[in-house]
Amino acid sequence: MNAVTNLARLRGPGIFAVVAALALVVAPLALEPFRLGLLAKYLCFAIVALGIGLAWGQGGMLTLGQGVFFGLGGYAMGMHLKLVEASSLPSSGSSSGGGPALPDFMVWSGVEELPALWAPFADPVFALAMVVAGPVLIATVLGLLVFRQRVRGAYFAILTQALAAAFVILLVGQQGLTGGTNGLTNFFELFGRDLADDSTQRGLYIVVALVLGVLYLGARQLVNSRFGRLLVAVRDGEDRVRFLGYDPAVVKTIVFAISAGMAGLAGALFVPVVGIISPALLGVVPSLELVVAVAVGGRFALAGAVLGAVVMGYAKTSFSEQFADGWLYLQGALFILVMTLAPKGLVGLAASAREALAARRRPAVPASRTVKEIA
Amino acid sequence: MSPIIEVRGLSVVFDGFRALDGVDLTVERGELRFLIGPNGAGKTTLIDVVTGLTRPASGEVLLAGRSLTGLREHQIVRLGVGRTFQTSVVFEELTVLENLDLAAAFRRPLLSLARRRRGVSETVAEALETTGLAGLADRPAGVLSHGQRQWLEIGMLLAQRPEVLLLDEPVAGMSRAERERTGELLTSVARDRTVIVVEHDMEFLRRYASQVTVLHEGRVLAEGSVEEVRGDPRVQEVYIGRRKDDAVSAGS
Ligand SMILES: Nc1ncnc2c1ncn2[C@@H]1O[C@H](COP(=O)(O)OP(=O)(O)OP(=O)(O)O)[C@@H](O)[C@H]1O
Ligand SMILES: [Mg+2]
Repeated sequence: MNAVTNLARLRGPGIFAVVAALALVVAPLALEPFRLGLLAKYLCFAIVALGIGLAWGQGGMLTLGQGVFFGLGGYAMGMHLKLVEASSLPSSGSSSGGGPALPDFMVWSGVEELPALWAPFADPVFALAMVVAGPVLIATVLGLLVFRQRVRGAYFAILTQALAAAFVILLVGQQGLTGGTNGLTNFFELFGRDLADDSTQRGLYIVVALVLGVLYLGARQLVNSRFGRLLVAVRDGEDRVRFLGYDPAVVKTIVFAISAGMAGLAGALFVPVVGIISPALLGVVPSLELVVAVAVGGRFALAGAVLGAVVMGYAKTSFSEQFADGWLYLQGALFILVMTLAPKGLVGLAASAREALAARRRPAVPASRTVKEIA
Repeated sequence: MSPIIEVRGLSVVFDGFRALDGVDLTVERGELRFLIGPNGAGKTTLIDVVTGLTRPASGEVLLAGRSLTGLREHQIVRLGVGRTFQTSVVFEELTVLENLDLAAAFRRPLLSLARRRRGVSETVAEALETTGLAGLADRPAGVLSHGQRQWLEIGMLLAQRPEVLLLDEPVAGMSRAERERTGELLTSVARDRTVIVVEHDMEFLRRYASQVTVLHEGRVLAEGSVEEVRGDPRVQEVYIGRRKDDAVSAGS
């Protein structure tokens, strides 16, 4: 019996080790560069999903605007890459007044001088810091304002969705500053390495996988801590938590900020992996798609969120190749199906299947059933 | 020394309806005070105001001479005022132990909560013991019976070591045996704390109450020992006019 419980306790870390080995060793060797690039993209989404799993699954905050934070991280990274490029390519750096070189799209839209907002992003340390600090800061301010006013449930969801919509409008409207609808693209190098190079892409994939792994372990630690229990308590009885002497607004803000930071980091990794960041990648629909993915994978388990993002990312690629529009409907149908029939998602289904199997193999426990099954 | 709880001229208005109308109440340190009154008398509302859930239209509440006006719920808890609710609320997905542990940890810096809980703190062990829930420590609170939930709630309060406890109908819906157990729990709890209990149950009142305040239609109708209150003709009228089983002096 003891050995069995010990084995059961090892199951989690065991699965993690196997998945980590598959992701870090097998995938880079077995997959051709194109497929590996796709997987890297799904893993970027999985990082966002992990944050959604924390905020929504554990904390009950249905955030439909993670695209905003993803975008903030992505644009911070994109701006840095653009500036590095502009200064290294003599052809595009027009610099009429001898100032810093301009990114290509600014030249095309007639911008003459580098906007003040852009200038600090030439510094890689600043850009990388902003990738996380920007989203965390905005989420903190927003969270304190909103959660203090006890905005929650559907109201919070709608608010975040509106934020995503507004962000897209802002990005599209500021053509000279953001590249408008096209966003930022045409990246050639990352910290001195050629982005078109297979080895760079493989290295990038490894970095993305490592970041996801570390964040996953950190998030797990948080979920299993007292703070994690407190978060679940806030999710299930926010008003009761107040009378335990905790401020739910602070708890929620912290977790919302963590999820925003994760999305920002994912956005920054996404840019060199996929080679573009644009409004279409971070508006209402992409934000919603990731929430659907988390629901499909299983929002109450962090592993479910990650799994959902990878599975749905893969499914989207495969289906869209054949029927472009069909995917949207299929996704919607899947979401409704999961929410009504299997609210715990794929992970929940797997757990029930395992329990059912265990119950069959070990008929000694529920005595009443044993008789029937043996008979 | 000032009384631990002092309510002065408290009025609460809900859409023009006066749920509390100029209530004055003084509770001394260490008292076990019962608050009774017919349905809708304003008992819960009074607790809600003391604990910061409802804002009064006028008047104020003093805790050991300090005004609680404008403080938020969790801040009042941190000053040492705890409460339970008429319908008990425990965190069903957390175990009994985790519920108690969370209650006990409320004064820790938030950052220190990021660590995993190791073992059971003395406070929590004590609360498990006092409430008789030690055998259920690792079960999710969702499986508890109604009575056990009320005890868990009281246990969570105890784990916070508050100076003042406000309990809203802690024995409602309990079996006779459960009531008895709760009564003992209350008397032991009240030994070194101030406890204010809202209760309808007359039998329970007779056995455990010392000082009683009667509320009626948002006002204090009478105050005194159980005997004094039972003998008060206004109290009799209010109760007999409503529910027979609540009649204070029905038998005597
Ligand atoms: N949030 C609210 N909005 C409007 N009216 C309210 C609100 N809360 C309470 N009331 C009204 O205020 C009055 C006092 O209610 P309260 O809950 O304090 O009574 P109570 O003495 O606790 O009664 P009970 O014994 O039924 O619990 C009732 O008439 C109730 O309908
Ligand atoms: Mg009440």
